[in-house]
Amino acid sequence: MSALVSDVGTRTAVAAANLVKVYGKGDTAVRALDGVSVSFAAGRFTAIMGPSGSGKSTLMHCLAGLDNVDGGSVDIGGTEITSLGDKELTRLRRDRVGFVFQAFNLLPTLTAEANILLGLELAGRKPDREWFDTIVDVLGLRDRLKHKPTELSGGQQQRVACARALVARPDVVFADEPTGNLDSRSGAEVLDFLRMSVRKLGQTVIMVTHDPVAASYADRVVLMADGRLAGEIDSPTADSVLSALKHLGA
Amino acid sequence: MLRTIIAGLKARTARLVLSSVAIALGVAFVTGTLVLGDAMNASLRDEFAKDARNVDVSVTVDGGSSEESTEIPGITPETLAKIRQAPGVAGADPRDSQTVPLVAANGKAKPAFAVPLASTEKLREFDLAEGRYPTKADEIAVDKRTAATAKLTIGQPVVLLGKEDQRHTYTLVGTYQQGTNQLSLGGFDHIGLTPDAFQALEPERPPYQVVATAAPGFTQQQVVDNVRKAIGDNGFRIQSGEELTKETLERVEARSGEFTTLLLAFAIIALVVAAMVIYNTFTILVAQRTRELALMRCVGASRGQVFRSVLAEALVMGLTASVIGLLGGIGVSALLQRVMFSFNDGEGTVTLPLTVTTVVAAFAVGTLVTVLAAVLPARKATRVAPVAALRSQPDSGEEVSRTGVVRVLTAVLLGVIGVGAVVFGMGMDDEEAAMFTSGAGTMALLGAVLVLGPLLVGPVNRVLGALPRALLGVPAKLASANAGRNPKRTAATTAALMIGVTIVSLVTVVANSAKETANAEIDERMPADYTVTSAVYDRPLPKELAEQLAAVPEVAKVAPTTVVFGERGYFTGVPRDAIGNLFRPTVTSGSLDDLGDGTIAVNADYAKRANVSVGSVLSIKPGKGEAQELKVVAVVEGQRLSDGIMTMETSLRFEQAAAGYDSILVKLKDGAVNGRAAVEKVTDPSPLALLDSAAETKEQLNQQLNQVLAFIWALIGLAVVIALFGIANTLTLSVLERTRESALLRALGLTRGQLRLMLVVESVLMALMGAAIGLLLGIGFGWVLTEALSNDTISVDLVVPFGQIGVMLAGAVVAAILAAALPARRAARTSVVAGMAEA
Repeated sequence: MSALVSDVGTRTAVAAANLVKVYGKGDTAVRALDGVSVSFAAGRFTAIMGPSGSGKSTLMHCLAGLDNVDGGSVDIGGTEITSLGDKELTRLRRDRVGFVFQAFNLLPTLTAEANILLGLELAGRKPDREWFDTIVDVLGLRDRLKHKPTELSGGQQQRVACARALVARPDVVFADEPTGNLDSRSGAEVLDFLRMSVRKLGQTVIMVTHDPVAASYADRVVLMADGRLAGEIDSPTADSVLSALKHLGA
Repeated sequence: MLRTIIAGLKARTARLVLSSVAIALGVAFVTGTLVLGDAMNASLRDEFAKDARNVDVSVTVDGGSSEESTEIPGITPETLAKIRQAPGVAGADPRDSQTVPLVAANGKAKPAFAVPLASTEKLREFDLAEGRYPTKADEIAVDKRTAATAKLTIGQPVVLLGKEDQRHTYTLVGTYQQGTNQLSLGGFDHIGLTPDAFQALEPERPPYQVVATAAPGFTQQQVVDNVRKAIGDNGFRIQSGEELTKETLERVEARSGEFTTLLLAFAIIALVVAAMVIYNTFTILVAQRTRELALMRCVGASRGQVFRSVLAEALVMGLTASVIGLLGGIGVSALLQRVMFSFNDGEGTVTLPLTVTTVVAAFAVGTLVTVLAAVLPARKATRVAPVAALRSQPDSGEEVSRTGVVRVLTAVLLGVIGVGAVVFGMGMDDEEAAMFTSGAGTMALLGAVLVLGPLLVGPVNRVLGALPRALLGVPAKLASANAGRNPKRTAATTAALMIGVTIVSLVTVVANSAKETANAEIDERMPADYTVTSAVYDRPLPKELAEQLAAVPEVAKVAPTTVVFGERGYFTGVPRDAIGNLFRPTVTSGSLDDLGDGTIAVNADYAKRANVSVGSVLSIKPGKGEAQELKVVAVVEGQRLSDGIMTMETSLRFEQAAAGYDSILVKLKDGAVNGRAAVEKVTDPSPLALLDSAAETKEQLNQQLNQVLAFIWALIGLAVVIALFGIANTLTLSVLERTRESALLRALGLTRGQLRLMLVVESVLMALMGAAIGLLLGIGFGWVLTEALSNDTISVDLVVPFGQIGVMLAGAVVAAILAAALPARRAARTSVVAGMAEA
């Protein structure tokens, strides 16, 4: 496992070795992931980027245990997850992983507060009230807690989703195009919060995005193309990401 | 457009199949009912047609107008001879009937319906089954079913009890098939004798009808004229065979019509329930297709085209379901006929007449109801704005609209009408009118609750959801939230079940209340341990029997009773010393101490009817003999069997009471062992004596009521089944609609099992909502009806059968779990990633 550690001196939160994921069979088979080995350090904000069809979403699904793999292994906080059954995977997601999706993040039947606490409740854990308050205040959701999702704006909904992802203090938060449906101001708020949760609260965030501006909030960008790793950028800026993408496209 | 519709039907086959099942069940019920009604009519018609077959002339005594005749004049042998000699008459035979005690193989008598078998073979109303018809006066034929129940075989002696309980012995020579008619359905025994033997049973009674058949070459009219010439038409009613047939058939229609109406009422309930399920399904289907329909509008479909496409889909579905339902209905009818035959422990042939009316009704119901149920959703579909296609999330918020003012007003209006009718009905004296008015009132209230449904979902859901929330945690919490998220949809889904449960529990409560009231009445009426009655209603018990019973050492007291039939009521004669112990009526005015010779205590109900009170003189005119004037000394209640009681001596002033005892009450000594066996030693040798204990009487009564109840449960059961399909339907559609949500929950850590549990709890909650409101309404309405049935003399107490209600609730829960099985399986199988990808 130590071979997978890329940042010496830093704990590895998530690591994948030689991941293979094939869709379809025979002639029509598509290798969505073609031997991907990558690791993500704890306490860092990493963005996965690439053109559509590059396999970035598939990588995230496999890393998070949402999808099964056809080869290779995934390690989350020291647990090999590709051999786990549905029950163990569910428990792992409950306890150690947080999610922020592009849309449909919230249950329309529950209030914002109930949505935030849903994961903890499923795990049967008591929320840490102080931590909850910190998150709610940082995200500016205090006066929105009793509202149903339909009464919230898109940006507010995504902030509630962020709060839910973080309230359980997971090993890692996976964010799948979290700003894809937002205007640029709301998007910036959400990205600011994700970055702050890494810098100040010590969380680990892995975000899939196709937006260079969004990627520039991360500490490191992992580039993908055709199901393989195609390079990485440390301390990215929007411009450096854009030119790297252009390079990939060319 | 057509191609789009076909593609749509193909794409949504699974959902449409579910909805079609609901329609098909409704259609099956309606056609089943109609086919059953037709079959019963046909068989009745056949039976009655047998009565009239080959009859060219019928002569009956026209007794209707002659007032002062106590003796109904019959057709004398002289008249019969005249008819036989009339030109053109090939054969003539008397028709008559009387009830005669038939002694079965166990030595006990039971009433049998005896008829003379026509000497002219063409005029016989029955078809021979086995053996031959009797030709000699000491031969007898019996109905096939009677032979089976009384355990009689051909060649054996058969005993009938004639006048004065004389035993007449005959040899059984044949059995005949009586077929299905009122008598056979009522379980009556039926025997046939030669005309001479029949006449010998009661010589002084002349027959009431003579039928004749015409000789070849004579028309019916000619023979009718000739007979009229021969006997004159004074006091006779002479009909041609054709007229007789017509008259009989009219009677048949009137009788079987009632049963068909009852069945149709149930069919309408089933249909209303099915229509609600269909309506709900289409509403959900359209809501889910908002984006698709909007896209069609975007690419240029007009509102009309969208409207027609939804309706066309409904039409295809309705037609398909109608065909399936029609076939199913024929099956239902066959099944119901089998059930009825088995109740009757007789055999019968299942007939399935399919008339044009039935086919038209099936298609009208299945197709029209479906299309009509789809109109509202289709109209909603035309309102979809083309931009809705561009919105990322199909907006179901619009469906969760606030409860409109119209809804509340409608409910209030229905409620006021309902309460008004209920209160008005409760105040009415006439039971039937009260039942009807209050019953209509309760249905209006049911309507009010249905209209208010969406408003009730919230609170009811909170109450019902509390227990599962506490016990089952997060999945139940989510389920409860889901059940309440779209009140209109939940209300529409549960309404169907609610209607079914309301009606089942209403009927159950009323039937059980009636049963308990009757049981209480029996207890009150029968303070004696045993009652000996006559097996044949117009044959009194011999007086020696009372003496023999009194002599039994285990018996403490014996009280014989007599009966007197007056013009407006009937009265019981009891020994003076039995009043106060074996007879315990409640006295409302006057005193029973004054009950002596020439006096009477009347029932409160009768006192009102006859307008008498304590001190009045009541004139009782029996059917035979002279009127007697009796002084009313008391008004009593609770002794409901008869309209009044008098002493035995007073009753003996009437000729009919002197013939023998109506019943004998027997009270055993305290601590007597084997009392029953001792009493049976006396009653067994007497063929007429039937020994009843209060417990047995109750048992018999309860059995009858339970049978009726079982039949109604079975009928309404179908409506409940349709309703449960509705729940399965809604749940399946909701699961499809919530694919992304389920995936999100799975991603957040809900296990497959928890997801399934969530859907099962949602289903159970919906079923319980319908069942709980239905039960409350049913019990409430049951109370209303028992109150309406109660009047000054009868008080029906409300009895809630908790056992049966428990069964109903448990049934609803089990069915709800079953209904959730498929949708839950489907939801749990969908992978998280695939679910998230669903648009």
